[in-house]
Amino acid sequence: MLDKDGYVKYSNPAATAITGYSADELLNQSLSLFYTDGNDSTKSGYELSQALKKGKYMSEGWRIKKGEARFWGEILLSPVYDEKNTLAGYSCIIRDISEKKQLELELRKSEERYRLMVEGVKDYAIFMLDANGYIQTWNDGAKRIKGYNSNEIIGKHFSIFYRAEDLENKKPERELTIAIKEGRYEEDGWRVKKNGSVFWANVVLTALYSEQNKLIGFSKLTRDLTERKRKEEELQQSEERYRSLVEQVTDYGIFMLDEKGRIASWNEGARRIKGYNADEIIGKYFAIFYPEEDILNGKPAYELKVARAEGKFEEEGWRLKKDGSRFWANVVITAVYNKQGILVGFSKVTRDLTERKKSERELRDSYDSYRKLAHELRVTNTELSHANEELEQFTSIVSHDLQEPVRTIKSFLTLIDIKLDQVQSADLKLYINKALNAAGRMKELIQNLLHYSQLSKDEITREEVNVALLFNEALKNLESSVDASKAQITIENEVDTIYGDRVQLVQLIQNLVSNALKFTSSETPQIKIKCTKEDGHVKFAVSDNGIGIARGDLSKVFEIFRRLNTAKEYPGTGIGLAICKKIVDRHQGKIWPESKPGKGTTFYFTLNEETPERRSA
Amino acid sequence: MMKYKIIIVENDEDEQLFMKEGFDATHLFQILAVLKNGDVLFSWLEENPYLLPDVILSDLNMPGKNGYDVIAEIKSTPSYSHIPVIITSTSSTKTIIDKCLALGASDYLVKPETFVEYVPFVRRLHQLIEEKQWVK
Repeated sequence: MLDKDGYVKYSNPAATAITGYSADELLNQSLSLFYTDGNDSTKSGYELSQALKKGKYMSEGWRIKKGEARFWGEILLSPVYDEKNTLAGYSCIIRDISEKKQLELELRKSEERYRLMVEGVKDYAIFMLDANGYIQTWNDGAKRIKGYNSNEIIGKHFSIFYRAEDLENKKPERELTIAIKEGRYEEDGWRVKKNGSVFWANVVLTALYSEQNKLIGFSKLTRDLTERKRKEEELQQSEERYRSLVEQVTDYGIFMLDEKGRIASWNEGARRIKGYNADEIIGKYFAIFYPEEDILNGKPAYELKVARAEGKFEEEGWRLKKDGSRFWANVVITAVYNKQGILVGFSKVTRDLTERKKSERELRDSYDSYRKLAHELRVTNTELSHANEELEQFTSIVSHDLQEPVRTIKSFLTLIDIKLDQVQSADLKLYINKALNAAGRMKELIQNLLHYSQLSKDEITREEVNVALLFNEALKNLESSVDASKAQITIENEVDTIYGDRVQLVQLIQNLVSNALKFTSSETPQIKIKCTKEDGHVKFAVSDNGIGIARGDLSKVFEIFRRLNTAKEYPGTGIGLAICKKIVDRHQGKIWPESKPGKGTTFYFTLNEETPERRSA
Repeated sequence: MMKYKIIIVENDEDEQLFMKEGFDATHLFQILAVLKNGDVLFSWLEENPYLLPDVILSDLNMPGKNGYDVIAEIKSTPSYSHIPVIITSTSSTKTIIDKCLALGASDYLVKPETFVEYVPFVRRLHQLIEEKQWVK
């Protein structure tokens, strides 16, 4: 209690606790004791007069404790009247509200921080609306995004940011209603800037309530998403393009697998190649395309493992279509990772190479058939050139070998004619003999020639011929000349039978033995006939110890009517070996001589050993 | 008139005889030798290196080395290759004549119809040698 002049008349224990003074110390002290600036009696006096005037006065401010320590104190002054209604003094209630003040200060500081922060934000427009939607605050972001300065926008209704059609639809009001009802309203939509241009905005409207749960307004947060929307649209367009590109590709099956190998997408090419529609295949494990054997071998899982480890797996192999048929595929599996480097699945590109394989095979087949044709042509060509050679040979034979004896006969008949005219008979007998010889030789030549050409024409017969019997027959035909020459003939044979034309083979052996007998130089000709098996052939050898053949002449021995020796020494028409060659040729064998001049000659020939299959064919 | 040194290669003994008569009758050639085939010809040439003929007249069809062999070997031997080889044969077939000329024969004369007509043959041969100036 204070007296009417402001001096302490009484103090309670609470007052002593707050001020630090004892009740005695406080007695008769001026109120100004608690005021700063050294007993500010001016201020305390003013406050007392105000209390008197208004019936009550309250003030807050720094107060002084005993020992000059400060505290934030609240003082409530009220005049007190006595029963005569005259001023008796003042009641003074003093409270230490330092803690409360501290909290208040901190709150204010924090609010200031938030305010500065909000105002400084540039990328977001953040502002407050009152309960009716009028703008109360404005930040830098709002200025930047919407173009208005705070002084020109505060107090305006937020519908200023909406397009005419939105206003017609009462969109701003609706948004507030929703925000009130749900606490917040959020949307992406078009908003209008100060200059009239529109931008794509993300808007969050939050209803704000007081402690008494009374709506006091709204916070509004707006982001300009125009750039993001553009990028998103570009990305979406680009994705769309790629997706439609991939989907429309028809020659390649292109699809995605998830990280476990289940099909996640499907394109037209995949549909065409594999036969499944997207709705029946998506979600299935991709092993469905593999033949059973591959699945048993764990091939699908292995391929994913390789793709995971190496980034890629590629191969060609058989795959299955929906209808179970196989196709030859080129397959590339690529591991797909997201931005964080985590495997999200695999892309699989499949090409059907069946057509290519087929055309490759067709190409090869056609190449093969061309090669076969070419071979046949070559064979025909060889045959033709043989025929041509034979024709040439025939021309040569007719023009030389056959004309010569005719000319000889004619020559001697002419001489005889001359001699008869001159009545000279001395040489007539000789000339007649010479003409007869020439005629005989002519006949022999013609017969041989016919025989030789007959060999080319007749089909040769193929029969099983006993080799031992073959030798016997040939030697029997030569019996008289063998006896006459006193030749020793030995036979070494390890082959039972051969296949061929028996008559021709007898002639072949006979000619070779006869040749060996003829070109002998020894008193006792040694002739050896051998027959052995060698590399699928049957090889014959007829050896003599005769005069031999000079190296340069080895190739000439088989020419028809070619004689290497004069007729006087070794008579003959020169057709025997030509016939041998022809017979061997017709049996698809080979014939060749080996010789040491003066020591002897061996004629070899081979015949193909017949297999049972060839026999039956 | 130039008298040429000639070697005759002919296997038929009757033919040899009548040819020789024909050559002798004309006195246009000096016959160095009459030989039965190419083998004998080359032996003779080897044995008589200082007595090479001006011209060789050879039959085509002979046992052993024939007319073709004679042309080929004369033309491929440097010391003989200058000697003209004239082939004579019963055949008048073009392919055979062409083959001889291709091998290097200087000419090809068809033998007379009979042995008794060698005199005109020899005269024609001489005339040919003169005209073509095969011998220098």
